[in-house]
Amino acid sequence: MKRYAKIFFPLIMVFAFANFANAQTKAKEGELKLHLNYNYAIPLGDFKNELISNGSARGFSGDLLYQINPKWAAGISAGYQDFVQKYPRAVYETGSHESTSAVLTNSVEISPFMAKGIFTPMGGNGKMLQPYISAGAGVNMLNFRQYLGEFGGADNSATFIAQAGAGLNLAFGKTKESGFSIGADYNYVPYQRNGFGNMNSLGLHAGLYFPLK
Amino acid sequence: MKNKIWLVPGIIGSLLFLAGCSKEPLQNLTPEESRIYTTSYDSSANFQTYKTFSIADSVAVIDNGTVVKEHSASDDAYINAMYNMMQQRGYLLVDKNQSPDIAIAVNRVYNTTTGLFDYGDYWDYYGGYWDPYYWGYGGYGYNVPYVFGVYQITEGLYSIDMFDLKNATGNHEINLIWNGLARGAGVFSNTTANEAVDAMFAQSPYLKSTN
Repeated sequence: MKRYAKIFFPLIMVFAFANFANAQTKAKEGELKLHLNYNYAIPLGDFKNELISNGSARGFSGDLLYQINPKWAAGISAGYQDFVQKYPRAVYETGSHESTSAVLTNSVEISPFMAKGIFTPMGGNGKMLQPYISAGAGVNMLNFRQYLGEFGGADNSATFIAQAGAGLNLAFGKTKESGFSIGADYNYVPYQRNGFGNMNSLGLHAGLYFPLK
Repeated sequence: MKNKIWLVPGIIGSLLFLAGCSKEPLQNLTPEESRIYTTSYDSSANFQTYKTFSIADSVAVIDNGTVVKEHSASDDAYINAMYNMMQQRGYLLVDKNQSPDIAIAVNRVYNTTTGLFDYGDYWDYYGGYWDPYYWGYGGYGYNVPYVFGVYQITEGLYSIDMFDLKNATGNHEINLIWNGLARGAGVFSNTTANEAVDAMFAQSPYLKSTN
């Protein structure tokens, strides 16, 4: 819990700062913006309990969003996250009256492709700091590999993904149309195979956004 | 607003570079971590009732269907490790002529698989790399026979079998009652034998005589 507090406390401070930020900025309707983020992800639920408990620092995402009006933007989102965890040697039941002593390695690569919408509740007020909430859904290309020692197999599949998130955009530059972005996303990924229930995760991201034209 | 579409290829390239930073699980394994030890047993066998055992003094090398007997340093190491562990578990070593209850055979197994790489795609685009005009034969086409590359992968393992000689007469057959497999990097090293056999016995606590 302390770890999450460390992450979200700065976010709360930034929200507080937002009340004092009076720089005038306004999202332009019809603008196409690219958001690029570095991602850190934390497995949750079955994913954490049965496959990988370590967080992943190997991830990124990109959103291409069309500004419908000052408060709403919609577009597409793609990303990549690589989870790997190696467990110390242990004995596993690998069959009827069969045991295997091995180092177990689980590897999960996820590549979501989603339709995504962002709502910026203060989008019309022209402030430099804008909190937002987001939601998306689409297809998740999932590559699950499991190894006992150097022997293993892979399961490549396409699964559903739904995402809900929140964060802050901080505009900079002359036109204030570009900026920094930080936020968190909850990723719901059902995975009803091999006895698992889901591969849900919490993603924390930081990055940049800027207009393409 | 200046058009920034030109940024996209660079950004995509950067993201692909980041994707290349993914962690390859097998590259992070030491030889010890790469090895696995698998044991299986006949649940109808009562291992406590067996008293004596004998071990074949050489190893059967099973290489893609052919069998020869050999006797390398690592073979000796596996035979000695089995001898020691069986005695630790209370079984008595006897000569094979003294009607042992259990026969133990150590086997080295090689399995080679062969596959084909298809270079067809490479040749299909050859004309794009070296236009025949380059050689002074503009207008000609290349004619390349279909080309394959052959690869082979050989996997080796130690397999240790325990057979039930005690009940062979009554059963009219010699039943396999226990098998241990050692697979992975370095299993053919004589320094690995003790580690492998120790692991096999550690996960087989039922291997214990009442001697």
